Amino acid sequence: MRHLANWSILGLTLLFLIGPFVIIILAGTSAGNNLAFPPEGMSMKWYLKVFTIESFRTSFALSMALAVFGTLAALVMGIPAAYALNRYDLPGAETVRTIVAAPIIVPGIIIGLALLRYMVVPLDVTVTMALFMAHTALVLPYAVRVVSSSMQNLRVDMEEAAVLLGCSRMQAFTKVVLPNIRSGVLAAFILGFVTSFNQVPVSLFLSGPGVRTLPIDMLAYMEITFDPSIAALSALLAFMSLAIVFIAERLLGFSKYV
Amino acid sequence: MFRNTREGLALALPAAIFSTLLFILPVGILLSEAFRQGGSWSVQGYIDFFASPLNRTVFLRTLKLGVLVAGSAAIIGYAAAFCIVNLSPKARGRVFGMVVLPLMISPVARTYAWIVILGRTGIVNEAITGLGLSDTPIRLLFTETAVYLGLLQLFLPLMIISLVSAMENIPRDVIPAARVLGASWFAVFFKVILPLTKEGLVIGGTLVFTGALTAYITPAILGGSKVLMLETLLYQRVNVSNDFVSAGVIAMILIVMSFTANLLLKRIATTRS
Repeated sequence: MRHLANWSILGLTLLFLIGPFVIIILAGTSAGNNLAFPPEGMSMKWYLKVFTIESFRTSFALSMALAVFGTLAALVMGIPAAYALNRYDLPGAETVRTIVAAPIIVPGIIIGLALLRYMVVPLDVTVTMALFMAHTALVLPYAVRVVSSSMQNLRVDMEEAAVLLGCSRMQAFTKVVLPNIRSGVLAAFILGFVTSFNQVPVSLFLSGPGVRTLPIDMLAYMEITFDPSIAALSALLAFMSLAIVFIAERLLGFSKYV
Repeated sequence: MFRNTREGLALALPAAIFSTLLFILPVGILLSEAFRQGGSWSVQGYIDFFASPLNRTVFLRTLKLGVLVAGSAAIIGYAAAFCIVNLSPKARGRVFGMVVLPLMISPVARTYAWIVILGRTGIVNEAITGLGLSDTPIRLLFTETAVYLGLLQLFLPLMIISLVSAMENIPRDVIPAARVLGASWFAVFFKVILPLTKEGLVIGGTLVFTGALTAYITPAILGGSKVLMLETLLYQRVNVSNDFVSAGVIAMILIVMSFTANLLLKRIATTRS
């Protein structure tokens, strides 16, 4: 009896959380021209049509580039910062931590607006550059936090031993520290990639004519058109995330970092 | 620990400087702008903002939806988390994975699903007209209920994750012991489970409440201009009327509310013990 109650609560919760995706996948298979459920007949035409829409292709490429390079840039700054916060007795370590974590606490839309108004407009920065920097700033807190937590598990004496045995400090870092925090770095990359790729509020004000990230482009498209292509695209994006999570889970037991 | 402070600072500074220039400085200026009026400092921007009935409605609606979503997430979250920790380790991992999974998927995609469900030709309306309960489709989109459902679906996983990790730390025998000693399930929850998991509740509650408060996508898609929330109002003020004072005021309100929620919940958690 207890068992039954348990599973019905879980079943309902999962239905609420996962059910909408099943519906969206099916809505994308419609043969009709209007978004409806149950779909009007079955076809793959909307799934194929998504790839032919020019604006989706360019915005997908932009989102991909921002997610990959923004996360890499965040890691380039974040790994040394995480290292310094863990290994040195820094005056003002708490301040550095707070400053770096700040973009998580403040709503993204405010970050985007502030950057537009005080950086893009007065300093004449291109929209693409502003988007790149904003996405980097957004991912930076995750990079520092995730890399930090995997560095905490690594004992300092291993590094000291490497130095005593003749490594330079740099070699000790690349040969001892880096291999040991590899899975943390990879987890930070995946988390940063997903965060950046799915980001809307920060990019909202920073998108210019012809320069739009994919989620912003989808929002603009659904305001004008009411066909199943957004459902198909949403389903494809869900599958992409699914694949990323699956691979990450296989590689490093990703869920413990989230 | 390494002692060379200068070296440490050199490593930490790029990230700190980048965050300051890109983030603290611009946001700081934006917030301070709401206190400027004709070249001098004033709180007139705030007075004007709250003088407008529309702004007050939006403010209260945002607060209400934040509380409702966080409250519902806590109730569902406790039930779900309790069931999850009682599963066998293998099943637990699978179910937990299914709870985490939606967090990785684009919020635009997640919110769009509700258009398919609640739209004029969506499932709910097809069912209602099909069963003959109503001749014409009912307007379900662009209502507070739609925004509420969207937000709850978006943020519920955060609550479940926080509560599961809190419940995993409850010693195995405590609950059966309380039951054997005659406590009702009601007493077990309020006297045993709640005190032992309140940290998880605080973390989950803060995440869900501030998430709902600062959500943009969900009210934009499911609420439109009929059900504005603070973020969609901010967007309108900037894009339609170029009103940066209001934008600064809304920004400040959002930040203050997020911080207050966090402090309040922390306070509750420490006074109960």
